[in-house]
Amino acid sequence: MTLITGALLFTLYRQLVNEQQHQIDQHLETEKQRYIQLAQTVDRRSFAAQIRAADPKSVLVAWRNSFDIVGSLSLMPEDIPLLPETVEFPILSGGPDKLHILTGGLVITRYGPVLIATRTDQLATLIKKFLRAAVTAMTLTIVLTMALGYLFSKAILRRLVQYNRLAQRIERGHYDTRLPISWRQDEFDMLAKQFNRVLDTLEDNLQAVRGVTDNIAHDLRTPLSHLRIGLEQLKDKPSEEQAEKAEQLIEELDFCLATFDAMLSLTRIEEGQQQLDLQDVELSQLCTDLKEMAELMAEERGQTLNLTLGQPCVLQGDKYLLFQALFNLVDNAIKYAGDGAAIHIRQNGREVVISDNGPGIPAESRERVFERLVRLDPSRHHQGTGLGLSMVKAILSRHQAKISLEDNQPGLRVIIGFQ
Amino acid sequence: MKVLLVEDDATTSDYIVKGFSEQGHNIESAADGHQGLLLATSNQYDLIILDRMLPGLDGLALLAALRANANQTPVLILSALSHVDERVKGLRSGGDDYMTKPFAFSELLVRAEILVSRGQAAPVQTHLQAGPLQMELLTRNVTLDGQELMLQPKEFQLLKYLMEHPNQVISRTLLFEAVWDYHFDPRTNVIDVHIAKLRRKFEELGHGELIETVRGAGYRLRQRH
Repeated sequence: MTLITGALLFTLYRQLVNEQQHQIDQHLETEKQRYIQLAQTVDRRSFAAQIRAADPKSVLVAWRNSFDIVGSLSLMPEDIPLLPETVEFPILSGGPDKLHILTGGLVITRYGPVLIATRTDQLATLIKKFLRAAVTAMTLTIVLTMALGYLFSKAILRRLVQYNRLAQRIERGHYDTRLPISWRQDEFDMLAKQFNRVLDTLEDNLQAVRGVTDNIAHDLRTPLSHLRIGLEQLKDKPSEEQAEKAEQLIEELDFCLATFDAMLSLTRIEEGQQQLDLQDVELSQLCTDLKEMAELMAEERGQTLNLTLGQPCVLQGDKYLLFQALFNLVDNAIKYAGDGAAIHIRQNGREVVISDNGPGIPAESRERVFERLVRLDPSRHHQGTGLGLSMVKAILSRHQAKISLEDNQPGLRVIIGFQ
Repeated sequence: MKVLLVEDDATTSDYIVKGFSEQGHNIESAADGHQGLLLATSNQYDLIILDRMLPGLDGLALLAALRANANQTPVLILSALSHVDERVKGLRSGGDDYMTKPFAFSELLVRAEILVSRGQAAPVQTHLQAGPLQMELLTRNVTLDGQELMLQPKEFQLLKYLMEHPNQVISRTLLFEAVWDYHFDPRTNVIDVHIAKLRRKFEELGHGELIETVRGAGYRLRQRH
């Protein structure tokens, strides 16, 4: 800013000086022409008279007569160049401003050299005033810029210090900390917003991990502690009961192992480590097998399991994984729809719908059921790893299939759409 | 049968050796891959039970060396790697069956017997019998105490499998694999409900005790001698 102001002032100054110089030059040039003309047309005496009569306010003239100097100047300094070359020289006058600066040059006329000069001390004063104003302006600008810059950088610094302080807070484990966003909507606010979004994701993930850890603790610790208690009691049991107790403990252990295995394979499928064994899969065949496998389970609970096949469809997929996913959904329907429910499997083209008329899932929980180890039944009465639906989702997304849960009014409707 | 066990974990090895010996089988064991290969190539075995991760020579490498030598002894791979693709890898390398650790001995035994009997050119059976049960494989006709049983296709397959292995504890996994063409742990009672249905049909004819549930292990078809 200071530079710009400086440059502007300098240009202004140059223009001002040039303009004045130009005017002076023109003025002197006119006078020069006038005296040359004059010398041509009048005699020596009239010439002298004219020179004497010249208005000193407009132009100062001096002509060296044979014995003295005629004109408003009483002297004729040495080394005055010929016009249009000019020189500045000081003179003394009787007036109040005793010292004057003149600018002038010589003109060679018929009657010898004539000094033509004009007062330029106004110009000098003007320039001096201008320079003083310019210096003041520059100083002010510099001071102002520095003051503003200082304030501005202090504001920025304050925000950086604040960000730094909050970041330290986050480092200490306060993950709910968020950077403040001002009304300014500037780059800092954009940065803060982005940073807050990162924190949101991070917090969600942490929450999920924490949830999983808690659930693992619950899911594995509970059977493991049963196992421990059981083993402790086993040695005190009468020998005829030992075998049965041991079998029961093995079942508990198998459950732990199954949960553990399910977690591992879920991770492998989710992270794409497990290669899909791709082959042609006929959806209608898959659904028929599904019905065949699950039918008896439904019958056992007085439920009906119906299958409706529509447009046939063959797609590329891992037959076993897809079957596992669909079976899991049907198995869930059987488990949760309640005794006597009606369960329906519909396949049409690339869509499979599994619906029941059980209690359904409240809308706000429908996304949550896909999370790992989430069970809507908080007491976890139903035996299961709590990974089933996560697995379903992971398998389906590896097959670029979409799954959505809807209200079947009443009940749950699961819609799977393959691309 | 004569079995070679290649397993470096002493606890597992002892467990398997003890189990097979108790069943009257002849079992030898090797604790690393090189010794295993040496034994496998210098002796004739009915079955090799092979751990995947071994010191010296890796299980799959041993298997490859064996098959490259035109040794066609059935191999059952035992592994802590339970993922489906590991299983596929094991079977593709020439393994005949794949079991993941930890396992129940009863299941290992059944799988071993199946592998050995598969290798022996048994006469094609058309008839199965277990106690009061009679099964005609061609006509799919099943009778209990001479009375005809009406069975669904899956029930028929389940019963056939049990009748092929009478008095043995058959795990749910084995039954599942035998009846359905899908390999996964259903974590559900699908086998139980089928067995229950079968059992009810037996009960109607006064033979509810034929199929016995073994807690923590599976089912056993009792055959009265």
